[in-house]
Amino acid sequence: MPGIVERSRKKSPWLFHINTGSCNGCDIEIMASLAPRYDVERLGCVLVGSPKHADVLLVTGPVTRQMYPRLMNVYRQVPEPKAVVVVGSCATSGDVYAGSHVIEGPVDVNIPVDVYVVGCPPRPEAILKGVAEAVQKKFGG
Amino acid sequence: MTLAVMFPGVFVLSLLYSGFDRKLHARMQRRVGPPLIQPFYDFVKLMNKERIIPAAASPSVFVTVTALAAASSMLGASVLMTNLVMEASFVGDIMLVMYLVLMTAALTMIGGSSSGNPYGAIGFSRRVGMLLGYEVPMLISLLIVSYRSGLTLSFYDMVAAQSIADVVLAFSPGAALASLVFALCIPAAAGVVPFDIPEAKTEVAYGYLIEYGGPYLGLLKLAKEVTNFTLSLLFFTLFIYAPQSFPVVSAYNEWVNLLFILVGALAVYMVTITLPRTLFARMKLGQALRFYVWVWALSLVSAGLVMVGY
Amino acid sequence: MSEPKEIEFEYSRLVVPFGPIHPALKEPVHFKVTVRGEEILDVDLVLGHAHRGIELLAQERNILQNLYLTERICGICSHTHTTCYAQAIEEVKGIQIPERAAYLRALIFELERVHSHLLLLGVMAYEIGYDTLFMQIWNMREAVLDLFEEVTGNRVHHSMNVIGGVRWDLTPVMALRVSRVADGVEDAQRRIRTAFMDRTVKKRLVGVGVMSRADARASCLVGPTARASGLTMDVRKDDPYAAYSELKDDYSVVVSDGMDAMARVDVRVRELAESVNIIRAILGRLPPGEIRLKESPMRAVKVPEGEAVSRVEAPRGELIYYLRTDGNEGLRRLKVRTPSQANFAGIRQMMVGGELADVPVILASIDPCMSCTNRLTVVDEGAGRQMNVGLDELRRRRASTS
Repeated sequence: MPGIVERSRKKSPWLFHINTGSCNGCDIEIMASLAPRYDVERLGCVLVGSPKHADVLLVTGPVTRQMYPRLMNVYRQVPEPKAVVVVGSCATSGDVYAGSHVIEGPVDVNIPVDVYVVGCPPRPEAILKGVAEAVQKKFGG
Repeated sequence: MTLAVMFPGVFVLSLLYSGFDRKLHARMQRRVGPPLIQPFYDFVKLMNKERIIPAAASPSVFVTVTALAAASSMLGASVLMTNLVMEASFVGDIMLVMYLVLMTAALTMIGGSSSGNPYGAIGFSRRVGMLLGYEVPMLISLLIVSYRSGLTLSFYDMVAAQSIADVVLAFSPGAALASLVFALCIPAAAGVVPFDIPEAKTEVAYGYLIEYGGPYLGLLKLAKEVTNFTLSLLFFTLFIYAPQSFPVVSAYNEWVNLLFILVGALAVYMVTITLPRTLFARMKLGQALRFYVWVWALSLVSAGLVMVGY
Repeated sequence: MSEPKEIEFEYSRLVVPFGPIHPALKEPVHFKVTVRGEEILDVDLVLGHAHRGIELLAQERNILQNLYLTERICGICSHTHTTCYAQAIEEVKGIQIPERAAYLRALIFELERVHSHLLLLGVMAYEIGYDTLFMQIWNMREAVLDLFEEVTGNRVHHSMNVIGGVRWDLTPVMALRVSRVADGVEDAQRRIRTAFMDRTVKKRLVGVGVMSRADARASCLVGPTARASGLTMDVRKDDPYAAYSELKDDYSVVVSDGMDAMARVDVRVRELAESVNIIRAILGRLPPGEIRLKESPMRAVKVPEGEAVSRVEAPRGELIYYLRTDGNEGLRRLKVRTPSQANFAGIRQMMVGGELADVPVILASIDPCMSCTNRLTVVDEGAGRQMNVGLDELRRRRASTS
């Protein structure tokens, strides 16, 4: 019954958040989206603690040299089908850190990205919209 | 035959109860929360994901454990439900149910330790510690119920005995302590805060669940949810439900009776599983075990009281 | 530092890696925790995962661009970084900011302290499994973030500071809203205090991560972490900056003798009340006038050669900036010593002897900001020593050149 599977994937996207060296602004806004005001759980999203449980990978931060192998490792551990959402301007393009010699490029140089949520930091509503769009794009019809 | 039919029924009910639990938890935190059928979406999604087995794990153990855990928990719940619906029972079925619940816990522990991840090993050792704490008091309180129902080991006879005696065990002296003991053991058996030490999210990154993804995780979560359902149902029917005490209900036909039981079990689920999860912080292993020493003592006291005749 | 315990049998030791990706840690840091059962025997710390080369980048950019660069060293204490930086530059240029600007800087400073402490208290509740308290506290924090958005235009990374003053002014309507939020915070902190007195919470926090006063001083802890071990140190009182010299009598430094994680949490809760006092004093005494010096950005960027040391009291402790300008538009050197860097020195002592379950609790109690903590240390392998410069040395050098 393909309809049910698709619908379930859209209704239950589990998020895993990885910080590749960001300033914390975006990470705080991601945590704020759990708070009662934005409440991401009503969309069925749960912030899980292991990449193996996740559907959507939220990446923040310009990829620092130390975090680069970890990012690749985590990306491989997320089971298919998966979506990657890049949160924040420094993950999208480097922001103020562009040109630094310890940054391994923005995220899309390393892994395929589905949705970019720009802002420094983006608001929780923008992050929610980014997740919803990624889910629609990757899992939906 | 009825047993096989019960499997889907148990599946639907357990996931529904889990949905109620998440909704109530969210509402108590002043959030909106997921829709009630969210666990169904979660299950279907998980079953359709890619299967990943860690390289350091032993594949046969790793995989079979999940299927066995789900199967044994569903069997336990189905036995219980079948006996309720058919109003029949066989000797020792209550022991079978308890054994299956214990088996589920043991299987999940083995799965965690077979994953080759140090967090899984820690989860395993913590779970062993917790088992020491809650398993025996639960058994003692069940034996007390059996004693009060005329030393029978069959489930429906116990329920029937209460209805004849017209006494609700949870409110009668002696056995009231036994019901308290059982209620205190439920959060640990269900693995919720304050006793979710083996699968603490912030300490050991889910403990034994850490390496499971996709369909394996789906089966393990199902096992957990069915266990919770079994425990609440057991508590309600053995300790609170006595048809004679609710004459309004027993006057109707058996389907209304069944509905009443299910609603009562849901209420027990909310009180023993959702409320502690929302209101308390997690304990450390040493503190939890010290708490369960008191529960042991309580259970022995209540056994003593019942033996003497109260 | 405590000596490692005597271990008779090796087989029961397990090295558990914590991080850099872990549900308890929102930021990357790596611990190798050696445990036997649940007891912690040793902790090894590996920092540097968020190293972005900011100090090197600062040398390639001009003064104004560095204002936005330093802001993004950390998302939680961004205003403190820009204040410290702006003060250092103003000191080199020898300019004095208007009084109203100083008061507004202090106002946003205290609001940031409130939001940072609320954040930490919520995170602490989350670490001990108390999700409900985490949700409630972060809900209260949203009111403060709304206020930031009204006054400065953004919830995080306010960019309130410019060289020579602040960017936005406070209208009377906004001032009223600020005072109402301050009342809400005061009410909230009372409720938070009660919540943290709950029995299950106390069991997790009391007696965990103990650090005596002598050890705290020897490890050079700063901020609320040090104040919870009995040390009275607060840059706002010891070395006043912005408007704090005039606000001396409106608040008191919160010190506790608990020495454990509970004391650190308690210090921060009480500091919320003190911040509210400061905010009320600022609103009451806000002087009229300009909010920034009238200077075009082209003129602002030209800074004479010189060096400066600037200190502020960030929510986590003492933040020190040293910078040296090159006479053109850029910096020859920027050195940042963040409070989290200092507080990490005490981690090993706090953790050894505790339980594995205490690791996230202890970590959260020192309020680490990993993105502030990544610096390079130059090690001279030949001579076998590290090249460190102390604060007195910096002061001496500044006095000799300027």
